[in-house]
Amino acid sequence: MQRPNSLGHLSVIIIFMMVMILPLLGTLLYSISTSWSSGLLPDGITLKWYTSLFADHRFLQAMMNSVLVCLGALLLTLVLVVPTAFIVFYYFPFLKPFMNFIILLPFAVPPVVSSVGLLQIYSNDVVTLTGTPWILLGAYFTVALPFSYRAIANNMANLNLQDMLDAAHLLGASTFRAFFTIVLPNLKTGLMVSLFLSFSLLIGEFVFANILVGTRFETVQVYLFNMKTRSGHFSSAVVVSYFLIIVLMTILAGQWGKKQ
Amino acid sequence: MSFLRVDGLEKKYDDSFVFSHIHFSLEKGEFVTLLGPSGCGKSTLLRCIAGLTQVDDGQLFIDGVNVTDTPARQRGIAMVFQSYALFPNMTVRENIAFGLKMQKVPPSEQSKRVNEAVELVELGGKEQRYPSELSGGQCQRVALARSLVVRPRILLLDEPLSALDARIRKNLREQLRSIQKELGLTTLFVTHDQEEALTLSDRILLMNNGKIIQNGTAEEIYTEPADAFVVRFIGNYNLLSAEQAHQVLGIQSQKQVAIRPESIYVREEGRQYPEHVRHPVRGEVVDYLLLGNVIRYRIKVSNVELLVDLLNRSSERLFPAGANLELLFNTHEIREVDEENSAIG
Ligand SMILES: Nc1ncnc2c1ncn2[C@@H]1O[C@H](COP(=O)(O)OP(=O)(O)O)[C@@H](O)[C@H]1O
Ligand SMILES: [Mg+2]
Repeated sequence: MQRPNSLGHLSVIIIFMMVMILPLLGTLLYSISTSWSSGLLPDGITLKWYTSLFADHRFLQAMMNSVLVCLGALLLTLVLVVPTAFIVFYYFPFLKPFMNFIILLPFAVPPVVSSVGLLQIYSNDVVTLTGTPWILLGAYFTVALPFSYRAIANNMANLNLQDMLDAAHLLGASTFRAFFTIVLPNLKTGLMVSLFLSFSLLIGEFVFANILVGTRFETVQVYLFNMKTRSGHFSSAVVVSYFLIIVLMTILAGQWGKKQ
Repeated sequence: MSFLRVDGLEKKYDDSFVFSHIHFSLEKGEFVTLLGPSGCGKSTLLRCIAGLTQVDDGQLFIDGVNVTDTPARQRGIAMVFQSYALFPNMTVRENIAFGLKMQKVPPSEQSKRVNEAVELVELGGKEQRYPSELSGGQCQRVALARSLVVRPRILLLDEPLSALDARIRKNLREQLRSIQKELGLTTLFVTHDQEEALTLSDRILLMNNGKIIQNGTAEEIYTEPADAFVVRFIGNYNLLSAEQAHQVLGIQSQKQVAIRPESIYVREEGRQYPEHVRHPVRGEVVDYLLLGNVIRYRIKVSNVELLVDLLNRSSERLFPAGANLELLFNTHEIREVDEENSAIG
């Protein structure tokens, strides 16, 4: 085997890190500077953008809204996708190609287009969902569906589902019992991947949130958009806070996953 | 009365039969092997007996009771799978205890029985490991313990050793057999490996194309093959067409003729042969293979190649390729066999 060229390898990693981290560091620096217009470095350091941000009731509410609607959509996705994937894999494996096709449908229509359609359908006299978080929940379900289904389906394909359930049945378990004691615990990886992917995707979602609900149930992204006329330092503080909250939630979820 | 009786079982998928007219029975405590080539329907038959797959026709009796329509988990049948089918989220101990938990056995009794099972399959000290931390052989021991701990009436094993390497396979199969004898378990063991079947079983059911071709002891199957399929499947036999049999042995036969390699002799000068060792012919050694205590010669007689097994005695000389020899045949061991019946239905 050839000796790895460690200098070359290292530089690739360093370049990658720089591309990933520099903009974030820049944003962080911008959010704590008094002003930064003439020199290579900011003129002064301040926390005033953060104090005014966290004093803004509207921001806290938006953050809360974002987290709530994302978690709600994730819950809905998992409650629907996990049993569906199980039923497809265990009872109707011939439906797998069909499932692979329908979960790709949300990709076929860009959010701008489908949100206009949803606006039309759900703003009539019978069902008025636009402007409420409920329509966002539904729209987000379609966004999260492909990622969740794929992650869970891949996990399920790696389990020896048929034999495991046969063994469980012969040992006296009902299918229902076997699902909760054997199938679900073994889907942990798929569930985790699906949760992380979908959560980070949904919390950054803007188009659906802005068009379907707007300021009536303001999410972080919509708030950020509506604050665009305020100082760039303030916007940077929003981005950094939002980023930190996601990191925090990821760590918490990771801890929780390890404990299980 | 037999403990398990299979009476005319039949199964088809989309109008094509997997098996049909399956009749056999197992005595209590018997170790029977279901032997047959891949795809002949062994797994499907086993699953039907376990109740995991519905049969289309026929009946199944355990201890005299018709269980054809009894759900799998009430049949008292345990099964070991080729894939082990362990639960990856559970430790060895939890895996083994699973069946007892489902049967709501009290915890103290559970723990006692799990300990016994762990002891039986020699997995002491590995109780807290997860299946991913075990070797294949150890996994299969866990699967075996998990099946035995619920004290099944019948144990089914579907190629349990096929995924293991040769040395472990041999070890484990002897252990399996001794556990089975110790517990007096009625066992149906599926394999496609004829050596495994011949060495392990009280009795063998030989299956081909969804039919049971022969039902007998290893000895019977080996010496009295039911048809040409059995001859080919058991291996090493010389199988001659009627025409070749006439050429080599000078006998008139309507059927194919099977001759075991060890029933052919090389004539030695000055030795007396019994009356039934006859049909002298001359042949030429093509090559030979040393199989430990036996040397297997390929010998050409006119245009027919015969396998001839001779004991590897050091005093005896080795016949080199090209050597011209005189062969004799034990006429008691010459079998006429039917062509295999390949039609299902
Ligand atoms: N669920 C099924 N659907 C359709 N055909 C099947 C199914 N299960 C088994 N078969 C067919 O039944 C035949 C026997 O399979 P199997 O019992 O697995 O054989 P073996 O275990 O002897 O290798 C095969 O031809 C297989 O294709
Ligand atoms: Mg099989």
